Amino acid sequence: MLRLKLSLQLLLVILTTLLLSYCAWFPSVQELPYQRVKTWGGKGETIGKFNEPTGVAVSESELFTSDSRNARIQVFDFDGNFLRLIGTPGDKTGQLGRPMHLTVANDELYVADYFNDVIQVYTLQGRFLRAIGRPGAGPGEFNAPSGVAVASNGDLFIVDFYNQRIQQLDANGVFIRQWGTPGKTGVWAGEFNYPTDVAVAADGTLYVADGYNDRVQVFSPNGEFSHKWGGPLAINIVGAFNGWFATVTGISLGPQGNVYVADFYNDRVQKFKPDGAFLNVFDLSVQESIKAPTHTAIAVVVAEDGTVFVADYANHQIQKWQPDEQKNER
Amino acid sequence: MKKLILLTVINLLWSTTLFAAGTQYNLRVDGLSCPFCAYGIEKKLIKTEGVASVTFDLEKGLIKVKVGEGVILTEAQLKRLVDDAGFTLRSMSKQFL
Repeated sequence: MLRLKLSLQLLLVILTTLLLSYCAWFPSVQELPYQRVKTWGGKGETIGKFNEPTGVAVSESELFTSDSRNARIQVFDFDGNFLRLIGTPGDKTGQLGRPMHLTVANDELYVADYFNDVIQVYTLQGRFLRAIGRPGAGPGEFNAPSGVAVASNGDLFIVDFYNQRIQQLDANGVFIRQWGTPGKTGVWAGEFNYPTDVAVAADGTLYVADGYNDRVQVFSPNGEFSHKWGGPLAINIVGAFNGWFATVTGISLGPQGNVYVADFYNDRVQKFKPDGAFLNVFDLSVQESIKAPTHTAIAVVVAEDGTVFVADYANHQIQKWQPDEQKNER
Repeated sequence: MKKLILLTVINLLWSTTLFAAGTQYNLRVDGLSCPFCAYGIEKKLIKTEGVASVTFDLEKGLIKVKVGEGVILTEAQLKRLVDDAGFTLRSMSKQFL
């Protein structure tokens, strides 16, 4: 009898553990859906076309897009109307090699230039201001910078992709500190495996898209590791369930502080609370009942009104998404 | 003898045409996961003298490297470039354009 009681207790413990794991690792959608309201672009070199868009950023009323292989930034209004070009191709000062993720801060445009190993800074109208950094693996040096974020005090957080680290520089480009170590990848807290993008909250909390680790890592304003998410234990377990990732390529914060993540191989954007709790997901690959090419969601940004813009790599286009108001009203 | 000379001339013209158009190297690479890493390999290849263009197909893990007239890339050279970018060259083939 005692043995049966113990067996039942053990079974109960196992079932409870499984149930808790299921709730934690297979969360359900917590919001009403988003809907795609517009797409524009297509492959090409002419105005309004793209050749591998890889970055998006917004000002109050304009969308800045990184037209990567065309080595230029294209600026649009929020309805997709072309406004102007920024940058010319090349490897000289002020020229663009391979622009990747973008950030708009303090009325300036920051461009991570992957081929020229610098952060290029322009006015929002397109006048070149300065370049930050140089090639290398030392402090303030980059090997393929892929993303940049700017704190409220002007400090820069730069994703140094091939050096497996995030660097914090002051507004003049002077090194302050780093997370991760050049030449070293890892799955434990504070280690990276080809980080791709970064976002910083108003309070200085740092969110890192830890690309090939298939997770998001968060660091508190004092620089200490805070938390991480992405699959069981967030230790590079790839998957297509809600809250899991298959190569994280972009990250952005919304006006409410929620975290939007470009989940490249899963062709989707996922939305989380700042603590990593899963909120929502939308699939980019399906368009008008046609299954579009895969490898779509590479970069994401959120405007002040909650509109989400996504750089769709495979289809060479920009997608505009909004919360489904009709469903929200029901 | 005339036939031999004619054949030699034709052969010479043919190979010159091939040579002038350049060569394409098709590289199969393991671990080519996203544009970020593919761009890393491209960045190294494009700095190699004589390389005219680099394109890739993520789905197939394939990189196509076009080189100009008279440029020859060795498998060891390409393997080193891919290794330096953090990936593994699985196989290589080349075709004349």
